[in-house]
Amino acid sequence: MSPRLRRLLFLACCALVLPAVLHVAAHMPRFGDHSMPYGDLINAVALAERHTTNMVSAINFDYRGFDTLGEEMMLLCAVGGATVLLRGSRGETESEPQRVPGRPIIARADSTVLASRLFGAVVILFGLYVVLHAMTTPGGGFQGGAIIASGLLCVFLGEGYPGWRRVAPSELFDALEGGGAALYALCGFASLVMGLPFLQNMLPFGQKGDLFSGGLMQFENAGVGAAVTGGFVILLIEFLEETREPVPDGDEEGDDP
Amino acid sequence: MSAVLHAPPVTLLPWLVAAWLFGIGLYGIVTSRHYVHLIGCLGVVQASTYVLLLAVGYRWNATAPIFYSHPPGRAVDPVVQALVLTDIVIGVTVTALLLALVLQLHKRKGTLDPERVRPMQP
Repeated sequence: MSPRLRRLLFLACCALVLPAVLHVAAHMPRFGDHSMPYGDLINAVALAERHTTNMVSAINFDYRGFDTLGEEMMLLCAVGGATVLLRGSRGETESEPQRVPGRPIIARADSTVLASRLFGAVVILFGLYVVLHAMTTPGGGFQGGAIIASGLLCVFLGEGYPGWRRVAPSELFDALEGGGAALYALCGFASLVMGLPFLQNMLPFGQKGDLFSGGLMQFENAGVGAAVTGGFVILLIEFLEETREPVPDGDEEGDDP
Repeated sequence: MSAVLHAPPVTLLPWLVAAWLFGIGLYGIVTSRHYVHLIGCLGVVQASTYVLLLAVGYRWNATAPIFYSHPPGRAVDPVVQALVLTDIVIGVTVTALLLALVLQLHKRKGTLDPERVRPMQP
């Protein structure tokens, strides 16, 4: 199918669907002014039932904790798949940092190094703060893990590739990724062992508004934080490793007849 | 159709923005000539679901569903926020997986143009 024909077909389909879209938009519940029974119920009872002040975390790690376990597994599968695809073509052996021919290493400006060192440390600390405050204020393992991984990327900006590989050994982050997902799943099995339903929150909930309130949610949150940090850093390591690989002479071109 | 013309504009806007983002992202996917561009368009389609979900959960004159400094009261829907929050993180890793596939394709076929990639032969 030619690109022109495909575009025409797409626009024809759009013209066909457009009246239905407008009809649905006009009959959606009134924006900002309609009943939301599930959300209202959680807003009303979660503080009393689970002693957490952040409703979003209460949903993620408790009321819909089983969903989050599924999302954890999606994260694990996506990171695992990307790693297999990238690492598989390079080989498993941990190679010395190699230089790509024709790509000189440019010395970084002192100001770049200083800024990266300052910001890297602050961003990682802020990420830990966000992970820790999951139960009280906006935060949690998902957001905090992403922030910690971004902070580690500052190390690459400031110290270059060798410095990055020293602070980010892939074994450590492989373990964090797998261990975090395992911790989340084990929280569920811990409930089963005690004769309760899967992922039932059986630990004391603590004081309302306290940093360590929420019982079992604390461990699930830590698991998610570790898994997201590990997953993001593994992806960064693998993609950066890909840019370091020297191109063997005449090896890649001969594949396609 | 007359309901569209008579509804107050601000109540329609979020749904139309979501539909527009979905449509324009799909248009990019259909007409794409480069896989990295195609993955970017997929991100736009994904963003349309965030707009839709957060618009569904919005409520006028309400606070965030965080009751740290004030007692529980009129707040926006926390359920859709939890859905969007996890989906953003999963979306990033799935994008990385797709980019890894694209890298492999480039290594094996030497092209990133969907038009020039032929179906695999058994």
